Amino acid sequence: MMASSYNIKEEDGHHSGSSGPGGNAVRTKKPDNTAFKQQRLPAWQPIITAGTVLPAFFIIGLIFIPIGIGLYVTSNNIKEFEIDYTGIDISSPCFNCSQSYSWNTTTSCTCSIPFSLDQPFESNVFMYYGLSNFYQNHRRYVKSRDDSQLNGNLDSLKAPSKECEPYRINENMPIAPCGAIANSMFNDTLDLFYIDPNGTRTPIPLMKTGIAWWTDKHVKFRNPGGSSSNLTAVFYGTTKPLSWPKPVYELDTDPENNGFVNEDLIVWMRTAALPTFRKLYRIIQKKNSLTPTLPRGNYTLDIVYNYPVRSFDGRKRMILSTISWMGGKNPFLGIAYISVGSVCFFLGVVLLFIHHKYGNRNNSSDIPN
Amino acid sequence: NDCYSQSYPQLYEPGQRSLYFSKGAFIKCALHSCYSSLVLFFVPYAAVRDSVSTDGHDIADHQSFALLTQTCLTVTVCVQLGLDLSYWTAVNHLFVWGSLGMYFLVTFTMQSDGLHRLYASSFPFVGTAHNSLDQVTVWLTVLLTAVLCVLPVVVHRFLFMQLNPTINDKAQPPPPRRRARIRRSSTRCSGYAFSYAYGYGDLVTSKRFLRRPVPLRSAGSTPAGRSAAFRPAGRSAGYSPSGQ
Repeated sequence: MMASSYNIKEEDGHHSGSSGPGGNAVRTKKPDNTAFKQQRLPAWQPIITAGTVLPAFFIIGLIFIPIGIGLYVTSNNIKEFEIDYTGIDISSPCFNCSQSYSWNTTTSCTCSIPFSLDQPFESNVFMYYGLSNFYQNHRRYVKSRDDSQLNGNLDSLKAPSKECEPYRINENMPIAPCGAIANSMFNDTLDLFYIDPNGTRTPIPLMKTGIAWWTDKHVKFRNPGGSSSNLTAVFYGTTKPLSWPKPVYELDTDPENNGFVNEDLIVWMRTAALPTFRKLYRIIQKKNSLTPTLPRGNYTLDIVYNYPVRSFDGRKRMILSTISWMGGKNPFLGIAYISVGSVCFFLGVVLLFIHHKYGNRNNSSDIPN
Repeated sequence: NDCYSQSYPQLYEPGQRSLYFSKGAFIKCALHSCYSSLVLFFVPYAAVRDSVSTDGHDIADHQSFALLTQTCLTVTVCVQLGLDLSYWTAVNHLFVWGSLGMYFLVTFTMQSDGLHRLYASSFPFVGTAHNSLDQVTVWLTVLLTAVLCVLPVVVHRFLFMQLNPTINDKAQPPPPRRRARIRRSSTRCSGYAFSYAYGYGDLVTSKRFLRRPVPLRSAGSTPAGRSAAFRPAGRSAGYSPSGQ
């Protein structure tokens, strides 16, 4: 940059090689006398003094505490209900189902757990299944998928990626969808029934679409051969994953929810970051603004128990939850904001006291010349 | 700058005594790094654990959690950098805000639909930025993390400046505009009479008022525009004998 400025402005002398040894011009290497090169640009200098720090602390405290209170109150108003249905206790209805350890059971086991809700749940209610001690964030597990196969690429359908090993080929046929993530898909079926006071069981309508991200359903996961095609024919020549009871083109009778774009598969394929996680299973839509979606009373959870978790000491649970502007029930942010705000305010007071007592004394003793 | 260094040669002492490059400095830096790392992981962890987004969907998945932690880190680093910059010129503004903007630009580009359609396996994070960065809790977590990481640094520096100021803290360039407004002559006598601070004994014995060189005013040393530093005088209200 400095060389180019020499070519343009020759105010400081000729650039090298111009006049030869007989030239009498003075060659200097001084940079130009511009504000940018002499580092004289107008600048703002932040200095940590009492006048800036103490008001900042008080302002942070005054802003954080109301935010924290708002978050905490909102989180407390979210209603959540959780049932662990692993069946560890011998007294649990699902104890018999939990005794089978293998993944290849053809006969499915059913159990039924009664519960009651003390408070009515209003507005949309979200039904989740939660797993514990299930490390979906294991590195080899996270990589064990083929995104271009799931995107509908026909070449990848017949020749899945090497990352899917050992869940890539079975009996000389490529597995669709390949990989360990798809192979371990959650396959329990959960149904909710409301028990009237006079004893009749009414099933609660559960919506199975709208549970996955829009970008996942419409961009990331596409069926091979386009959206309106005979999936059985498209998937001919591939085989189902080892642990699945049915092939991928029989996941749902609804053609919009069948094949790779099945929303349960999409939700499962979005690997969780933590070993205890919950995934959206169904949505219970609100009826109208007058009646609560789930009134107070007795309910039954009917489970088709397929998914074995006892072998790795995992737990399964069903969660019913309402939603607010901050998402699900999580009191941590509210408590953290209140604590940090209070600490800031308290620190502001302490520092003000320290500055008042000790700061002035030091300011007057300047450096002797 | 050069004039300042000539008038305050004591500024070279910390360098000669290796004050900023000692084992103590390393240990302090390491402790700060440990603390920041723990905050940068565990605050997002606790914020998204068992939580969901505002329409019930996943927010604690692998990709969203990674994006949240990354955003917390970038914002915290930029805030910490802003604290450490001594001079905010136009170039500094460009690079600091530009870094932040570049981060979001690159993130949204890499996680866009278009790139995923081109190379599906190489860009698996499609939709993550779009789905998680519109959550209020994500931004509140970023703010909380930045404040938690930077607060101890500010408190530490402020405390040490008040209780045990180093040579650099004392040798700050004086904000000229405020001093220029102080009228000297009319308040000279009354200022001394009503002084609430220490008297002028040290001033007289140090002979500073006798032969203080006129500080050279080159354009680079004075902050043009508004000055963020307010130095409480510590002496009486009006009279400032050393011309600072």
